[in-house]
Amino acid sequence: MTFQTVAAEPFVPRRARSDVARRVFLYAVILAVAAVFLIPFVWTLATSFKTIPDSANITLIPHPWTTSAWRTIWTQYDFKTYIENSVFLAVVITVCNIFLAGLGGYAFARLRFPGRNLLFFLVLGTLMMPDQLRLIPVFVMLTNWHLIGNFSGYILINLVTATNLFFMRQYFLTIPKDFEEAAKLDGAGYLKTFWRVMLPLALPAISALVILQFQGTWNDFFWPLILFGQGNAAHYTVQLGLAELDFQYTVLWPQICVGSIVAILPILAIFLAFQRYFVSGVVSAGVKG
Amino acid sequence: MLGARIREAAWGYGFVSVPLAVFGLFFLYPFGYAFYISFFHWGILGKQAGGGGMFNYAKVIHDPIFHTALKNVLEYTVGVVPLTMALGLALALVINQKIRGREFFRSAFYFPSIASSVAITTIALYIFNANGLLNHIIGSRTPWFQNASTATWAIVGLNSWTSAGTAMLFYLAALQSIPTDVYEAAAVDNTGAWRTFWRITFPLLRPAHFFILVVFGIGALKIFDQQFIVSAGQGGPNYSTYTAVLYIYREAFTQFDFGVAAAAGVILFLVIFAFTVVQWLTIGRQEAA
Repeated sequence: MTFQTVAAEPFVPRRARSDVARRVFLYAVILAVAAVFLIPFVWTLATSFKTIPDSANITLIPHPWTTSAWRTIWTQYDFKTYIENSVFLAVVITVCNIFLAGLGGYAFARLRFPGRNLLFFLVLGTLMMPDQLRLIPVFVMLTNWHLIGNFSGYILINLVTATNLFFMRQYFLTIPKDFEEAAKLDGAGYLKTFWRVMLPLALPAISALVILQFQGTWNDFFWPLILFGQGNAAHYTVQLGLAELDFQYTVLWPQICVGSIVAILPILAIFLAFQRYFVSGVVSAGVKG
Repeated sequence: MLGARIREAAWGYGFVSVPLAVFGLFFLYPFGYAFYISFFHWGILGKQAGGGGMFNYAKVIHDPIFHTALKNVLEYTVGVVPLTMALGLALALVINQKIRGREFFRSAFYFPSIASSVAITTIALYIFNANGLLNHIIGSRTPWFQNASTATWAIVGLNSWTSAGTAMLFYLAALQSIPTDVYEAAAVDNTGAWRTFWRITFPLLRPAHFFILVVFGIGALKIFDQQFIVSAGQGGPNYSTYTAVLYIYREAFTQFDFGVAAAAGVILFLVIFAFTVVQWLTIGRQEAA
C-alpha cells in the first residue's frame, strides 16, 4: 500500500494538488459558516440550563446545571397555556385550510361553471393584497362584530388562504381524469368524488400544505398581536408570551432562552422530519412568483 | 344533459363559495374600505362627525415621526437586501459543490428562515446585549439594540443571517437550472473560475436576482416584528427602530387614530407598489428580453 502511494506521487498532476487545497479551503469555509449558524442555538440551549447569575458568564457549560428555568416557564410564566393556544390555533386553521382550499381548488381545477376564470382571477388578486393595508379595515370590521380579544376573528380571517387554494388547484390539475370518471360511473356525486377520490390522491399536496400552514400559524406574531395580544394573557400564543417575557423580564435570560426554544422546537421537529416539503414549497413559490 | 351541466355548476359555486366569501370579505372589500377610512376622522368608536378629506394624508406626510420611520425602513432595505442576496448566493455556490454532508449544511443554513421571528429576535437580544456573546468575542460593550446609531444595522445583520438560507434555496434552484454545456465551453476556453463566475454564472442568474430582489425588497419595506421586539413596541431609542408598519400600528393602537393609520397604510402600499414597478421596468424587462 505504502509503496503504491509513494510510486503514485510523481504522477499526480499539479491540478489535482491545487484541487486538494481548494477542497480544504472549501470545508474550512463551510464549517465556519455552519458554526455561525448553529452557535446561537447551542448557546441558547446551554443558557436554558443555567442559573440567572451564571447566564451572565460567557461559558458554554452551565455551572451548576439546573432545570429551574424549564420548570418556571411551565408554571410561573404560563407557557403551558400559550402552547395549548398555539397548538389549538395551528390545528384548527390547518384543518380548515385543507378542506376549504381542497374544495375550492378542486372546483377551480375540475368543475365547469360560468365565471370560473374571472373568479379564479379574483383569488389570485388577493395574493397581492398587502397586510399593512388591510390591517385597519379588518380590525374595524372585526371590532364591529365583537370578534376582537378572542380567537374567533383570527380563525375567521385565516379559514382559507389564496396561496393554499392556488396550490391545491395546481395539484388537482396534475391528477389524471380517469379516477373521477371511474367514480362517476359508480354513481358518485361531486362531494363523494372529492372526499373519496380526489382528496386521498392529493395527499402529497396536503402534506406540504399542512406543514407550511402549521408553521405559518405557529410563527405568526403580527395578527395575533393585533387581534388578541393586548389584553388577556389567557389568549396569548407562544410568540406573544415570548414577546411579553422579553419586555417584562429582561434579566431572566435562562427563562427567555427556554421560551425561544419552546417557540422553535415544534418547527425544528417538523423541519427535520419533512425537509423536502419545505424546500420544494419555497422553490415552487419561486416558480409561481 | 342540461340538467347535468346545471348540477355541475351548482356544485362548483357551492365548493368555491366559502373561500370566495373569505377572500371577498377580508381581502377585496378591505382594500376599498382602507381608502374610505383614510378620508375620515376615525376613532375606536368608528367614523366621527365631520366631512371627508385628505387631512389624514396631510398629517402623515408632515409627521416627522413618519419621515424617520420611512428613512429607517429605506436604510434597512438598502442594507439588508444586497447583504442577504450576497450571503445567499455565496452559500448556494458552496452548497452546489460536491461536498460531504451537503444536506446537513443546507438544512443548517436554511433553518433560521423558518424559525419564528420572535424566537430568533429573542436569541439576538441575548447574544447582542451589552454583556453578551457577540460583544465578548469582538471585545466591545455596545448595547446594539439600545443604541440609536446601531439598532437598524444590528437588525440588518440579524435578518440577513436569518433569511440568507431562503435566498440560498432560490439561488440553488437557479444554479441547477444552468445547462452544463455553458461551463464546458468556458472550460475549453480555459477561463478561470473567478471570470467564469462573473462572466457566465452571475448574468445567467438574472431571473433569480430579480425574483429575490423583489420578494425580499417588499418584505424589507414591511419589516415589523424584529423592531417591535427589540424596542418593546416603542420604536426607540430615539425613534431609531420605528418602521412604517410600526407607525401604522402605533397610530392605530396607542393613538387610536384609525384614519391616520389607514392613510399611512395606503402610502406604504403605494411606496411598495412603486418599488415593484420600478424593479420590473428596469431589471425585470431586461430579463424578459
